[in-house]
Amino acid sequence: MELAKNLMIDSVSRLPLGAPRYVAPHQSVAEAVALMRQERVGCLLVCQDEQVAGIFTERDLLRRVMAKGQPLTINVSECMTPSPVVVHPKESVASAIRKMSEGGYRHLPVVDEAGKAIGILSARRIMHYLVEHFPATVYNLPPDPKVVPQSPEGA
Amino acid sequence: MICPNCGHDNLPGSEHCDSCLQDLTQLDQPTAQNRVERSLMEDHVSTLGHPERRPVTIRPEMSIRQAIDLMLAENVGALLVVDDSGKLIGILTERDMLLKIAGIYGDYEQLFVSDFMTPDPVTVTVDHSLAFAVHKMDIGDLRHLPVVDDGIPKDVISVRDMLHHITRLCKES
Repeated sequence: MELAKNLMIDSVSRLPLGAPRYVAPHQSVAEAVALMRQERVGCLLVCQDEQVAGIFTERDLLRRVMAKGQPLTINVSECMTPSPVVVHPKESVASAIRKMSEGGYRHLPVVDEAGKAIGILSARRIMHYLVEHFPATVYNLPPDPKVVPQSPEGA
Repeated sequence: MICPNCGHDNLPGSEHCDSCLQDLTQLDQPTAQNRVERSLMEDHVSTLGHPERRPVTIRPEMSIRQAIDLMLAENVGALLVVDDSGKLIGILTERDMLLKIAGIYGDYEQLFVSDFMTPDPVTVTVDHSLAFAVHKMDIGDLRHLPVVDDGIPKDVISVRDMLHHITRLCKES
């Protein structure tokens, strides 16, 4: 089947990756939140010397900052998820999906061989990739699927 | 458009065959080519959730503090806001916390859920097809989609549920 085959063949680099947004470990959570809000993203990479040190997501904000009543002045390094699971651009899409569902992650940093981050792969991008395989099935739907015209349009 | 009855080549989009008057309106409808497509077109959104899975709900007059605790305790990213009669009136997600609360309100813990929820969210009903739900998620850039029955929330399906379902079908075939 086409999709099952493509999932194994297509590499992560074929997907349009979101450009990674960075913060440095010593920046404050307030700065990170402002950047996330401005860029409308749910996750930031925490990078030191171009190497991925951690990832900071909406979930981290909720769990490690807001739930504990921490002030937004603390450093990102104190509330990030350190050493996140990453994918390489040459890995297959199937392998990326597996990593996501095993760990329950919504975002995976994409890093090259030198360990430099080149993008973020989100669950929604993958969903879009899957939907692209079935354009007629998914996109050619009426606003309400239960409404069927009783007569041809214009009649 | 070749008429399936007499083989006459009609203009594309014709409603009936010019030669034998056979109805052609159904020919444009997509048909499933493989297992994943068939599942998307024919299976209802209820196939994604576990029958015993209940949506995590909250009342609009509860505090943000309670909402955060509930999200962490239930390990979910979205809470359905329901009124007295149990009808869905809004959704409160992690994203709302990021976009509307963090860094904007210093003392947010005692503020109300109703002030920050997204009212009247996009929903699907139990008998909608998976393709319809995927369409809503993809177009609206939505991560969670409440499943309602006559206004009462029955479940929430997420992008991850959908990824899970599709990749499982690919593995089985």
